[in-house]
This record gives sequence, C-alpha cells and structure tokens, in this order.
Amino acid sequence: MAAAARPLVSVQPLPASLNDMATDHVTTVALPDVMKASIRPDIVNFVHSNISKNSRQPYAVSKKAGHQTSAESWGTGRAVSRIPRVSGGGTHRAGQGAFGNMCRGGRMFAPTKTWRRWHRKVNVNQKRYAVVSAIAASSIPSLVMARGHRVESVPEMPLVISDSAESIEKTSTAIKVLKEIGAYPDAEKAKDSQAIRPGKGKMRNRRYISRKGPLIVYGTEGAKLVKAFRNIPGVEVANVERLNLLKLAPGGHLGRFVIWTKSAIEKT
Amino acid sequence: MQHDEVIWQVIRHNHCSFMAKITTGNFCRNPYNITGVCNRSSCPLANSRYATIRDHDGVFYLYMKTIERAHKPNELWERVKLPRNYEKALEIIDKHLMYWPKFLVHKAKQRLTKMTQMRIRMRKLALKTREKIMTTPRKEIKRESRREKKAETAAELDKSIEKELLERLNGGLYGDIHNILPTHFNKILDENELHAVSEDEEYEEEPEIEYVQGYDDLEEEDDIEDFGGFAIDESLKNNDDAPEDEEDMDSVRVKRRSESAHQKMEEDERRKSKKKAKVLVEVEHEDASERQRATF
Repeated sequence: MAAAARPLVSVQPLPASLNDMATDHVTTVALPDVMKASIRPDIVNFVHSNISKNSRQPYAVSKKAGHQTSAESWGTGRAVSRIPRVSGGGTHRAGQGAFGNMCRGGRMFAPTKTWRRWHRKVNVNQKRYAVVSAIAASSIPSLVMARGHRVESVPEMPLVISDSAESIEKTSTAIKVLKEIGAYPDAEKAKDSQAIRPGKGKMRNRRYISRKGPLIVYGTEGAKLVKAFRNIPGVEVANVERLNLLKLAPGGHLGRFVIWTKSAIEKT
Repeated sequence: MQHDEVIWQVIRHNHCSFMAKITTGNFCRNPYNITGVCNRSSCPLANSRYATIRDHDGVFYLYMKTIERAHKPNELWERVKLPRNYEKALEIIDKHLMYWPKFLVHKAKQRLTKMTQMRIRMRKLALKTREKIMTTPRKEIKRESRREKKAETAAELDKSIEKELLERLNGGLYGDIHNILPTHFNKILDENELHAVSEDEEYEEEPEIEYVQGYDDLEEEDDIEDFGGFAIDESLKNNDDAPEDEEDMDSVRVKRRSESAHQKMEEDERRKSKKKAKVLVEVEHEDASERQRATF
C-alpha cells in the first residue's frame, strides 16, 4: 500500500434484512492516521509482557511453614549428621531455624513472599505507542493472517461496518451480521477450538482454552451491540475510548482481527 | 515495499501461524505458497506481488496477487485456468507473468512441471488396483465363525429341506420318479421299513424292484404274495398313467438337474404315495431313463 495520502476505506453496509439499515450505500471513511503508524513489534512485546503482569494475584507459602517445631542439633560425637533434630521423638524433622530444605517436613528454600514485586510500571508513552502499533498492525491483512485469523473472505481491511450495527440487540442478528461481512469463519474457528487445557491449569480454574476470534470496536457509549456480540465464542467487544493492548495483541503477537464501526473509526 | 519488509520482519521473528519448523528447516503451511518453504521470497504474506499454481480437481490454476488489491482479502487472488497441454500452460504463464520478477516465474514453471508429473502418475496409479492393507480383527473373526457354526446347526437345513420337499410332493409338484440315486433311495426305504410297519406298499415295492432291477431287499416276499391282488389292480391303473408318467419324468428331469435334493424328494414321495403299482411300473421306465441320465 503505497498510499501516502489518506486512502479511503469503504464502510460495509449491513443487509437490509436486518432492521432497516442499508440506507447508506457504500459510504467511505478516510483511513485514520493511526493505521499508518510504524509497527514496532519489539515495543509491543515489551509492553505486553509488562502489562500482563499487572493482573496477577500474589501467592506465597505460609510464613511459619517448616518452623513449627523446636529442634536442637545433637552436635558431634553421636555418629549422626549435625542438622538440628526434633527433640523428643528423634525423627529427622527440621527444627526451628533449621536449614531444612533438604529435610522432609522442613521449610523450602527461599520461601515465597507476598511482597514480591508483582506489577510493573510502563511509561505512558510506551503504552500508547504499543497500542497505536497494534492498531496499525490490525489493518494489514498479512499480519492478521499470520497471527492465525481466517480473514480470506473479508471484503476489506480494515473492516468497517456502518453504525447501524451498534443497535443490534439479538445475538442471532449479530451472527448474521458476522456472516454477511465475512467474519464468521474466524468466529467459527474460535468455536471449534474449544478444548480442555492440558496440564495442571485445569485444576486451577483455567480449565478451558480456545482461540481468539474477532474484536469488535464500537464508538458510542452504551451501544447495545455489546450484549449482542459478547456471547459469541471468541468474539470480544471494546470501546474505542479504552482500547486494551492485551486485546489488540493477544500473546504479544500483533495483528488481531478488528472490526470497527464507523463511529469508532472516526474517533481513532 | 515498506509494508513488505516490515511484514516479513514481524512474521519471521515474531510469529507466523503458518510456519512449521522441522529438523530440516522451516516450512510454510500456507496453501498459496509456491515452494512450501518459509522464505523471504516465497512467503505469500510478505510479498505483495505473488503468484502460485494450485490444483483443483485435476485442473491447474494460476493464482496471482497484486499490491493494488492487498487491502481486500476477499478479492485478493486472481485465478487463470491453465490448459491441459504442458507447453501451452507454460506459454500462458509467461504471458501473465511477463514483467514479474524472475524468481516467481521460474518457480511457477517448476511447480507446474512437478504438478503435471504428479498428475500423470496419480492417474496411472488410480488405474492399477493397489493393495489395501486391512486389519484383521481376530476377535471379530473368531466370533463370527463361532456364530456361523451355531447358526448352521440351529437352522437344521436337512430337516427343512425334507419338509419343503414333502410339501411339494404333497402338492403334486413332482412326477413319480423316485430312485435316481440308488443309495439314497435305499436308505429312505430302509428308514421307512423301520418306522412304518403298516405300510404294506413298501414291501410290495421292494420285491418288485428286485424283480426288475435286482434290488437288495428280498425280505418281504411273503408280504408280496399277500398283496399280490393289490398290485394287479394298481398295475391296471398304472397302464393308463404310463404316458403321463413319462411326461412327468421329463419334467422331473428338469427339476432334478437343478436340485440334487430331488432324489430325496422322490424317496419321500415314495414313502407317502400309495400307488404302489404305479411305482412298479415307473420303476421299469425309470430304469431306462436313469441309465440314460447316468450318461450326463
């Protein structure tokens, strides 16, 4: 795309069968400057890995673990090793203040503390740069395809649909809209890929995994389409005022498939 | 170009969902890739001007993508059908990719060559019947054979055949020729001897048979004399029926050829038919016919 000036993006009309839209035929919107920003995968990666740490919850071992015994070393002369032993029973249990990471029932090496630094600060400008970069990447079909979204049947990138979509209330109409604009294969891919996570995450409240589908960005506050689209597997919704890097570049990989509404694009 | 380079950087170093790493190298799963290798020059995503040859149902198509349509994924690829003829296809490729980079033209021709060769080979193979290796589920085979045996014994084929033949006999379906196979005939007669004491007819038959052909059972000569009267009466009847019998014999011949069980049928008929004299007469005829038949 050698466009130096701002090329035009045509707005996809929604079919007349839904409500009573399609009054505006093919209107066009100028491509926002954002989409022409430079794409910096390194910045995106950095910011993403730091931001994703911000939602972590602390975990630690109990402070008293391994120390709840009184134990004394027997010293030399008894033909046994010198680690502190529990008085009384004489079994090899770690004692108070004992360096018991090698002993059964002792405290671990370097017990985890809650005051670990869980969150990371990132410069605001960097965060903004990353978001901008991610938006720009989402307008390049190659990158979106490389990230794994099925966009072969999409009429145009970036994909803009008319504002009448913001008033969709039913999920069934939402699905129809997706099919009309060629975004359905991506949502289907997400639905087909639902599986149980391998590994221990299963037991830790992260049981299911699935692919990510399209991200719908809307412009006006309180648009009803949030409710219509949010139940479709894989589909996420976001307001243009508050775009989240974690949604725009999931996994730190650029190029999420984004569907904009007309007002959203005008605001970017 | 700005985009291509950037795209390639991002794809190659960050993440491309089509890239497959094997011990021997990096390959591209993208169906539009011309070589199949993940390369700066053969990545369909990182080259805005690209061409491939794909095969659909044995027909080759040349797919091309240009930068002008790069933002419309729907209409990105332009398709040209290539003729069956290899040389003509090469010409068409040349024509369409006239001012394109040499790499793509060269690779496209290479791909066409390889695909034509494969197509020829696949067609030849399809004509030959290939062996298909199938698994032998032992459990199932054993189970089925066991069940077969049980079903066979449960079906009692012999008995049902006898029943069917007797029904047909009672219905008068067959003629009166009963002893094509002497051994079977004798066996049935033996059985009847044992079971049906009241049936005098059989006794009559046997000595008669002896008289004519020299059958084995000579036991009931006494009985024969007792029933000589009956035999005479029946013989009178039989004379009338003789021509009919012959016709029946012919028809029976046809039937016999189809079923070997006919012999048994005849024997059963013998058991139940009460026209002994008829039988006697028939026997004579039959002997002649039988000898003729034996020459099959």
